[in-house]
Amino acid sequence: MDWIFSFYNYRVVAEYLPIFANGMWATVWISTVSLVLSLIIGTLVTLAHMSHRGWLNRSASAYIEAIRATPLLVQIYVIYFGLPVVPLLDWRIGALQGGIIALALNSGAYMAEIIRAGIEAVPSSQTESAMAVGMSYRQRMVQVILPQAFANVLPPVLGQAIVLIKDSSLLSIITVSELLSAGLTILSERVMPNEGFLTVAVGYLAIYLVMLVLSVYTQRRLGGIR
Amino acid sequence: MLAMYQNVFPFLLQGLWQTFVISMLAIFFGSLVGAFVGLGRARGNRWTVRGFGAYVHMLRGTPFLVQIYIVYFVLPTTNLAVFQLTSFQAAVIALSLYTSTYVAEIVSAAIEAVPRGQNEAAQAHGFNGFQTLWYVVLPQSFKMMMPPMGGVYVLVIKNTAVLSVIGVTELVREANVSIQRFPSFILSVFLLVALMYFCYCYPVLRLTRWAEKKWGGLHLNV
Repeated sequence: MDWIFSFYNYRVVAEYLPIFANGMWATVWISTVSLVLSLIIGTLVTLAHMSHRGWLNRSASAYIEAIRATPLLVQIYVIYFGLPVVPLLDWRIGALQGGIIALALNSGAYMAEIIRAGIEAVPSSQTESAMAVGMSYRQRMVQVILPQAFANVLPPVLGQAIVLIKDSSLLSIITVSELLSAGLTILSERVMPNEGFLTVAVGYLAIYLVMLVLSVYTQRRLGGIR
Repeated sequence: MLAMYQNVFPFLLQGLWQTFVISMLAIFFGSLVGAFVGLGRARGNRWTVRGFGAYVHMLRGTPFLVQIYIVYFVLPTTNLAVFQLTSFQAAVIALSLYTSTYVAEIVSAAIEAVPRGQNEAAQAHGFNGFQTLWYVVLPQSFKMMMPPMGGVYVLVIKNTAVLSVIGVTELVREANVSIQRFPSFILSVFLLVALMYFCYCYPVLRLTRWAEKKWGGLHLNV
């Protein structure tokens, strides 16, 4: 049993448990806030993307392409280090705010794609029937299209939420304290990478499994509706 | 400003080249491993299905940043000679493993998307398992794999940026070093880096979309 102790010293992990618990909590709430913001951004961008005004449409797709074709880490750097040096703007943001903004902007582009696909998957006959009974654009959207789109959108949104939770680990690079930073703390204080990173991996796996169960459950429920 | 660009640009180009090399290696090895795992999940026995399923979920459930730290810091503590990796080797291994899970999902989904009747017809003609797969199923599923595979390749290219944390001298690392020398140009350097990634990823994204229009999309949650 001696080798286990030297490979993974659980007493050190127990000693650092409060730090891991705090990190876990930070990861959960940072992801939740970013998820809500990204859904708002995604909805707005989708509306812009589907509008008939050319400039709105084009700027929405430019935003989506720019986000999708560049790494999140670079986006985090641009927002966190870049924005404060823009002349005249002088917008100093903390690592936490900068990180959440970057995560939300990144995820928002993917959410926009998901929401648009969900709306487009609603059969056009639904729109036509709603028009035939004399519904306005707003009525059609709110009462006919969006409820059906919601069912289409929910599974991929949960998938994107899983991606977002994993992506939030990148914030440790700009010194936000979350789950991975707890592992980095053990690495720097005790030089014990195993205790740090394996514990962190188990933490992320636990969150992932909860999300997985949630998405299987919703898929089953939605399958019942359709 | 111009002097800064003249100084920084060659280093960034060098970083971009390294990013290209690593992403190509990871795509190659990741696709090999992923094809194997995907076949095991779609066509294997109960044990390969479960084992590879666990493999995919383990890698899907943890952030890539944690995986790279585990490969680079945790594996060497086993004291096995094979795991004494340079940062470049660790980067290629971690990124290949990461890629393989996505490729595996695509391969198994594409194989399962080929109608059952095709399998039965091949068996009725006396094809064995390998012949059915090789001559009947794979040619049909190959086209379905292409569009989502393009998406995965973009994902791989973007994830090479994370490798900078273990000191691989790819694009982001070169940018970080350049910023040490020209701290006041931090935004310009990172925007230039973003532009470089864009020039690499955007054509792949467009190609993916074109393939999707031509061959239809495989509906996957990648």
